[in-house]
Amino acid sequence: MKQDRRGSWYLLTGAVLGAAVGLFYSWVISPVKYVDAPPYALRIDFKDEYRALVAAAYGYSGDLLRAGDRLAQLKDDDAAQSLAMQAQRALAEGRPEAEVQALGILAMALNEGVLPAIPSLTPMQIVTDLPATRTINPTELLVQPVSSITLSPQPSHTPTDIVLTPKPTSSSQPVIPATPTPTQGALFQLNDTRLVCNQDQPQPLIQVEIQDAAGQPVQSIELVVIWDGGEDHFFTGLKPELGLGYADFSMAPYVVYSLRLAEGGKVVNDLIAAECQSEDETRYWGSWMLTFIQP
Amino acid sequence: MSRWTKFLLAVILGAAAGLFYGWVVNPVEYVDIAPESLRVDYKTDFVLMVAEAYQVDRDSGLAVRRLALLGSSAPTDLVTNAFDYATEHEYAPQDLSLLKSLGEALEVWNPNLEVPTP
Repeated sequence: MKQDRRGSWYLLTGAVLGAAVGLFYSWVISPVKYVDAPPYALRIDFKDEYRALVAAAYGYSGDLLRAGDRLAQLKDDDAAQSLAMQAQRALAEGRPEAEVQALGILAMALNEGVLPAIPSLTPMQIVTDLPATRTINPTELLVQPVSSITLSPQPSHTPTDIVLTPKPTSSSQPVIPATPTPTQGALFQLNDTRLVCNQDQPQPLIQVEIQDAAGQPVQSIELVVIWDGGEDHFFTGLKPELGLGYADFSMAPYVVYSLRLAEGGKVVNDLIAAECQSEDETRYWGSWMLTFIQP
Repeated sequence: MSRWTKFLLAVILGAAAGLFYGWVVNPVEYVDIAPESLRVDYKTDFVLMVAEAYQVDRDSGLAVRRLALLGSSAPTDLVTNAFDYATEHEYAPQDLSLLKSLGEALEVWNPNLEVPTP
């Protein structure tokens, strides 16, 4: 009797062939169609448009809950931070001021969890309701900085501080709670410079904290850092979890930096990464913390 | 059962596995969609946001540009569709009012009167 030596490979061949046909059909000929897509599937630039629209709508309704629900559809890890970063990008890209303001206001509202502002609030009351969230617990400074910091005068310009002022309202128009508008005022002045030693932060930073005359953090302030052969710009408010008036810049060791506010003020020169030393004599890089306050 | 029958059965099982994998386990994902592909309730909410924003800026041209993200349909049609959906699903009266207000503004909007923006 003749024995079949071909075995069962043909079954595997058939299964593989079938699977290939099935995948081709399901991926190419008739793929799953997302005609009823949710906002989180939007392309990144459309997500930006969506956020801007949510912020603009919030400017009308002041309904933080609704705005939060809408933003939740985008499934951002941190909606407030996404808004703040988009506001910074919009500012840098020269987007319309109203858009930047709307994004900033909503970011602030979400970050601080404040209820929608009501018309009876004065600007000062609104500002006072936003507590500073920045907390720094540096370890004891054991090593003196390797350089001193000097100030050189710069031509003064109008600062870009933003305060909340109510918009005019009418009986037939919805009330706009508060809109940040640039105001004339004193320049921010360097109030304090100190070396922050934190072993959990081994990368040396230039950390900046900007406060208005009321001691409240001021966001969207552009800072310019200059070094030999380079220049960079950064903004306060990009890390709302560290405070709306906070900004930082990573330093490279042994490079000397100068820092100033983009709109003017004195230049802080000779910023260079300085070493700290822990109790077990481990050496690590510290960070410079500069506090600017509007007098 | 003949070998051919078994072979065909294997092909069918393989195809079923392939379809299951392609449609259920690892379907094609559209991660970069445009707003026009949004589900109708999200589209309606999108139009509602445009209507809310319009109450602030009173800029019909800007509202039209925002609505253009939802596709090539006429802005008034988009608003009408949103209003119909909102009415059908019993949206709050103030939301319906906002949609109606936007629709009325767009009815009389004349693009030729728009001041070109840089």
